[in-house]
Amino acid sequence: MKKKIRRMTAGVAMLLASTLASSPAWAQSITIAIGSEPSTLDPQLRDDGGERQVNDNIYETLMARTPTGELVPGLAAEAPKQVDATTWQFELREGVKFHNGEPFNADAVVASVARVIDPANNSEQMAYFGTIKAAEKVDDLTVNLVTTGPDPILPSRMYWMKMIAPGYSKDGDLAGAPVGTGPYKFESWNRGTDLKLVANSEYWGGEPQIDDVTYRFVTEPGTRLSGLLSGEFDVITNLLPEFTTNVPKFAAVPGLETSVFVLGTDNEVTKDPKVREALNLAIDRKAMVEGLFMGYATIAKGSHINPAAFGFNEKLEHYPYDIEKARALIKEAGAEGKPLVVVGESGRWLKDREQIEAVAGYWAETGLNVTTDIQEFSQYLDSLMGDGPRPDAIFIANSNELLDAEREMSFIYHKDGAAASNSDAEMATLIEAARLETDTAKRKALYDEIQKKGHDLNYTVPLFNLQDIYGMSERMEWQPRVDAKMMVSEMKVTE
Amino acid sequence: MAASDFTASLTPPIPATTSAPRSAISELLHDKAAAIGLAFILLIVFLALFAPLVAPYDPAAQSIMARLKPPVWMARGTWEHLLGTDNLGRDVLSRIIWGARATLTIGAVTCLLAATLGTVVGLWAGFIGGRTDSVLMRLVDIQVSFPGILLILLVVAVLGPGVWTLVAVLSVTNWMVYARLVRGIVSSTRQTPYVEAAEVIGCRPARVIFRHILPNIVSPLLTLAILEFTNIVLAEAAVSFLGFGVQPPATSWGLDVASGRDYLFIAWWLVTFPGLAIVVTVLSINLFANWLRVTTDPEEREKRFARAETAKRRRARRRVGA
Amino acid sequence: MLEFIVRRLFQGILVVFGVTATVFVVTRLVGDPVALMLPLSATEAQRAAFAQQIGLDQPIVTQFLRFVGDIATLDFGNSLWQRRPAIEVVFERLPNTLLLIAAGLGAAVMLSIPLGAVSALRPGGLVDRLTMSVGLLGLAMPQFWLGLVAIVIFAVTLKWLPTSGMGTAAHLVLPALTLSLTPLARFTMMVRASMIDELNKPYVKTARAKGLGLTRILRVHTLRNILVPFLSISGWELISTLSGYTVVVETVFAWPGLGLTAVQAIQRGDLFLMQAIVFVIAFLIVLIGIVLDILSKAVDPRMELN
Repeated sequence: MKKKIRRMTAGVAMLLASTLASSPAWAQSITIAIGSEPSTLDPQLRDDGGERQVNDNIYETLMARTPTGELVPGLAAEAPKQVDATTWQFELREGVKFHNGEPFNADAVVASVARVIDPANNSEQMAYFGTIKAAEKVDDLTVNLVTTGPDPILPSRMYWMKMIAPGYSKDGDLAGAPVGTGPYKFESWNRGTDLKLVANSEYWGGEPQIDDVTYRFVTEPGTRLSGLLSGEFDVITNLLPEFTTNVPKFAAVPGLETSVFVLGTDNEVTKDPKVREALNLAIDRKAMVEGLFMGYATIAKGSHINPAAFGFNEKLEHYPYDIEKARALIKEAGAEGKPLVVVGESGRWLKDREQIEAVAGYWAETGLNVTTDIQEFSQYLDSLMGDGPRPDAIFIANSNELLDAEREMSFIYHKDGAAASNSDAEMATLIEAARLETDTAKRKALYDEIQKKGHDLNYTVPLFNLQDIYGMSERMEWQPRVDAKMMVSEMKVTE
Repeated sequence: MAASDFTASLTPPIPATTSAPRSAISELLHDKAAAIGLAFILLIVFLALFAPLVAPYDPAAQSIMARLKPPVWMARGTWEHLLGTDNLGRDVLSRIIWGARATLTIGAVTCLLAATLGTVVGLWAGFIGGRTDSVLMRLVDIQVSFPGILLILLVVAVLGPGVWTLVAVLSVTNWMVYARLVRGIVSSTRQTPYVEAAEVIGCRPARVIFRHILPNIVSPLLTLAILEFTNIVLAEAAVSFLGFGVQPPATSWGLDVASGRDYLFIAWWLVTFPGLAIVVTVLSINLFANWLRVTTDPEEREKRFARAETAKRRRARRRVGA
Repeated sequence: MLEFIVRRLFQGILVVFGVTATVFVVTRLVGDPVALMLPLSATEAQRAAFAQQIGLDQPIVTQFLRFVGDIATLDFGNSLWQRRPAIEVVFERLPNTLLLIAAGLGAAVMLSIPLGAVSALRPGGLVDRLTMSVGLLGLAMPQFWLGLVAIVIFAVTLKWLPTSGMGTAAHLVLPALTLSLTPLARFTMMVRASMIDELNKPYVKTARAKGLGLTRILRVHTLRNILVPFLSISGWELISTLSGYTVVVETVFAWPGLGLTAVQAIQRGDLFLMQAIVFVIAFLIVLIGIVLDILSKAVDPRMELN
């Protein structure tokens, strides 16, 4: 109760303080509007976009990526060496300190790994770390990571695991006041309102240019845009392509998401390969890129694998637009007038509903009797990943954070994958083989083969690799990254 | 008796018998605002009833090539889409016409359900009286204190959004006003000599209700239902705006404002027209219902007459002065 | 008076119990909390463990008693979304909502009395007609629409006020005014109507005939007489605002109050948090109802209480 009263008084005090309180021009502070507030600032428990957008600046990982997506050492001094099929050795960077003064060393890595894989913590991030068995200290700056079986993408996984301070994780407030090694230090968090970080002057990579950054949580894209236009925000996420001409500045970068329809290969109408091919040919993807995305999307090349990911088959071409052939194929298959239900959701991904309805419109042209079923999100998730019957066609904007084809393959192509709608045992065998293949070239060849097969059999209807567009104020200078991480240390303010 | 006291002032008073229809029409024409209101109501009802015939396009028909076209009077506007198109190239005018259908249907069904439930409870309580009456009315008091919209959200959270969920919850949270009104009229009517007489000579309760009580209830009930209708329209719009009411691809004005909101700065018409449709509908109903309330209430009629006289006199005085 | 208060409190307890029963029925019997709150990828074992944890394996009466017991001790369980006690989240956001309501309804009360009074002095006059027209518009305008229009005009075009969020006094202006328009319209019409009634009463005419100034009559007699209906209508307005009408305004302006939290809780299937919100609000409504009734009685001793 007392706390409540204090908060109320604070509220009144805030009221009395006027808007004049904004900071002077010489301290470079920026405000970033993000779509959702972190549910917690614990970097190891949730799979939460808001949490990542903040913590990516506070914490670091053993491996990092360049803005263009290349995997490079982060807190590791060099790329890891493979000791045997299930062991990877990491040499650590010297002289790195956490914000509270604790040294970063092998003990920190061991503690971080142990905490995130501890079943008691029930971390949502286990989707990324399921193969990791343990971390073993070799010496103060050398760690072995042990996996349950051969795991070729362990280095990529370590790009996702944030390193926490072992001492602070025991007695500190990880969820409310994070302590990392990164270029920014946690300053304050007014739940519901804003969150502030300040530059870490002792950062091993050099002090970043922007002194402090305030995050504001604004769910509605329209409200974020309003704030940018009125000058309250410096950077906003997920700008609609239509607004690139309205905002002071913007930057677009190929994103992690690929939109795709997964076809039910055992369903009455879509089990016929001719029908599936017709569905791929009936869509005028070029017109959609121009009409819907103002050009800020690229047509997916024959599969739903992200072009920046390892394992992407660059030899495939995108499906051409040939409505005549599509109509002929439907006729040949005797599917004219047969029902096709297109399942999707609305509001989760960039122009999801627009894409779904546009594609449904194209498909109706082929002679099929198409109905669209836009579902509420939890119901949609049930359709996508539940145990019920597979939909004829279901939309998903699939994201690939680890930038390795394995995830997308297992998710959508492997017959047991959560979002897969096929029962192709042969394809599943190929995917399983690739999972264990530690030889890079052989693994790549396997992935190429799988994509070719998926392409030729039309298991999916890939649409676009979406671009992330950020709106920026006049004074901002920033080239966004392909992995969608918003690194404040890479931003600059010109004034 | 918290809530009951607060709503009491909003409950319309008991009316006398309505005047003959012809004089009602001439009276309505005297009140220009109410007449215009009624005209708009009739127009909206017409549009809703004949939406498939009136609307130029299928409200769900989209054309990616004709996205975000402005209304006809603007530079890039065309006669093909009088009020422009939305982010999927759907015709805004057609969506508004079909939206009228959704709004009116939800409003009418909800009002009907709530009024029926409320009338039954009110009749029951008022007629039986005694213990039943106090228990039922206590139930009404309790339900009035429920956090309405939040309860809707809770139910939506559990059952998932949808039109019928919305109608059900809105009905269940709105019947109390009717119950209170009906019960009030019943208990006061029962004390009138003719009903007492009817009961004394042994009329069956059903006969008393249908012959003597119901005719007295119809007019105030109708007035209340019309006033409540606007609340339902606004509630439906708000819940749909939040994304928990009418679900796409069905249309609703609230839903259209929500989906047009992201395009506010390049396509103002997406938010403006559905919003205006809501404003005009609610305004028209309020104007008309206000007139109806006054017209069916002798006390209010007297006041209105007095005001008109005062105004007339004032004007006359001013003319003399000039 | 004491008996009245006791009876009123008892009724309040009844209402809270009614809400408890309703929430129990809605969340436990109508819906399936396990399916709602666990991710689809949850295993059967996880589902069973969760069901046991919230007591779903018990007989229904035991479940209900446990539910009541938990609520009595303010234990609403942990918010799934924020992974901390749901009640903590509610108490953190409640002041923000109360601040918004206080500002919105406060503005409505402050503006409605002079507007209503001035309109009542000359019914049918220019001021009256203007006030009534704006009032009718205010009753017809959906708040979400008004809020969007206000953002475009005052925040983006004129850049006078911030678009969203909470922080300085300036952040409060647009949401509070948006929230205030409907109650303002209702209050003004009510003040105006009661004033017209009062001004036509014999005592006012007598007082004026005796040569008392109009302002004095207004201040001493008339305003006091309309206080009781005003109190009840503003109480009703406060309750209906609290019962959820801030949800829309908070969503439009990204105001971190309970309404926005409720929307986010639903989107994340966070049933425990939603329950806590509904309860705390219901409790507040009952409390406000009691306070207002006592207040009305204190102000107007003639008021009959059954």
